[in-house]
Amino acid sequence: MNSESHALTIDNLHKSFGDLEVLNGTCMCADKGDVISILGSSGSGKSTLLRCINLLEIPQQGDVYINDELIKMKGEGSKRKAADQRQVERIRSRLSMVFQSFNLWTHMTVLENIMEGPVQVLNVQKDDAKERAMAYLEKVGLADKYACYPSQLSGGQMQRVAIARALAMEPDILLFDEPTSALDPELVNEVLQVIELLAAEGRTMLIVTHEMEFARQVSSEIIFLNEGVIEISGSPEEVFNNKSSEKFSNFFAQGRTTQ
Amino acid sequence: MNLQIVMEYTPEILAGVVVTMKLVVVTMVLGLLLAVPLALCRNAKSKWLSIPAYAYIYFFRGTPLLVQLFIIYYGFSQFESIRQSFLWTFLSESYWCSILAFTLNTAAYTAEILRGAIKSVPQGQIEAALSVGMSPIKLYTRIISPQAALIALPGYCNESVLMMKGTSLASTVALLEITGITRNLIAETFMPLELFFLAGVIYMIISTIMIGGFKLLEASLSRFRVEI
Ligand SMILES: Nc1ncnc2c1ncn2[C@@H]1O[C@H](COP(=O)(O)OP(=O)(O)OP(=O)(O)O)[C@@H](O)[C@H]1O
Ligand SMILES: [Mg+2]
Repeated sequence: MNSESHALTIDNLHKSFGDLEVLNGTCMCADKGDVISILGSSGSGKSTLLRCINLLEIPQQGDVYINDELIKMKGEGSKRKAADQRQVERIRSRLSMVFQSFNLWTHMTVLENIMEGPVQVLNVQKDDAKERAMAYLEKVGLADKYACYPSQLSGGQMQRVAIARALAMEPDILLFDEPTSALDPELVNEVLQVIELLAAEGRTMLIVTHEMEFARQVSSEIIFLNEGVIEISGSPEEVFNNKSSEKFSNFFAQGRTTQ
Repeated sequence: MNLQIVMEYTPEILAGVVVTMKLVVVTMVLGLLLAVPLALCRNAKSKWLSIPAYAYIYFFRGTPLLVQLFIIYYGFSQFESIRQSFLWTFLSESYWCSILAFTLNTAAYTAEILRGAIKSVPQGQIEAALSVGMSPIKLYTRIISPQAALIALPGYCNESVLMMKGTSLASTVALLEITGITRNLIAETFMPLELFFLAGVIYMIISTIMIGGFKLLEASLSRFRVEI
């Protein structure tokens, strides 16, 4: 492990569910401003990797550093857990996750969803949080929907609200787990456009996606995950022109035919 | 049926309504206070919490309320140590014995209702809360409780009405609530049909009011459940 500073460092992550080994010594780094797309076939461990970063899953082995701060763990194997709940909460508040299924809180309005984290976790004053929330809603193009409940929105609108909610935490790193996979095709673009905008702003992002063309355009780096290890990584040009990995060529070809 | 008699004795039975309502309100408050930690224990990962909670619920749902009431009213008085302790000021009174039995019983049922409601809050919303760094307490108070409460409400309404009707069992330990007073009046007047009918109507009115109250509560809580 080198001593340079990174926004995110993942070192030798191992995660299995029962007998199924999902992550198998995964290592990666992200620097500030990096946009890293994570590709891989279904079941290759992409979600698990993201979820280990904010400790929604506890890796059985390996370390995660956020801004060079180690997330402290204790115990071994399946009994392993976070050593310091306060640290976990603080670090989670520096990371924001956008889920495939949006996961908006259905009992709150759009505005309340976005204000919730800043007010309850970051202790931002209500007025400031509201101003901030409206600014981010504006950015995702939904300022007029602030008083709606999630059940009144389309999938694409819900995901844009979820992105605004993630942004309102003003996180160091944004984690996207297939943000467009649950959307009807005609709604995919509105969400991708928002993410593109964020990439252009220089935000640090990890994006799990099946949208190859999108990944090629926005990413500074692409990672291809296969059976829990990073099979290829590099700039979009390098990865997409790489013919040496049969697995990736197959994956890429399949992606083409299903699009 | 002699309606004259019914009218004549209504005021006396209404005195019992006050006692019944007191039983219901105190039991609902205490029962809910006990049910919340029970439900949380029942859902807890630790066996040390979940198994005792399960055993408690299993016992109180598996035995008749009347038997529970008798155990408390007749059973506890056999222990010299209880009769000597300060608890006796309560346990010697049929009112407090009834409150205790009804509270312990309704808490078991309510805990199961709450447990199911808590479980039915979508995991994704819980993960979204954790992923912004919410503490477990914030998670429960801000995300889980408001949604679980609404899900639990119909079941809890049902349980509360059943419990209200169950308070008639307090008459067996000589408490003069609606049924107790009615039975005393019948012993004087030998008119069981009219007086039990009157008692039944009063119970029906109380349950109608309770159901109406719960409906109003549900409507005011569920403003976010917009029909599409
Ligand atoms: N909580 C869990 N319990 C058991 N197995 C799990 C769990 N979560 C994931 N898995 C398994 O781990 C493997 C990797 O899952 P993961 O969700 O990380 O894949 P993925 O790359 O995100 O796939 P997809 O593209 O379908 O989302 C899968 O085989 C999955 O069935
Ligand atoms: Mg996934």
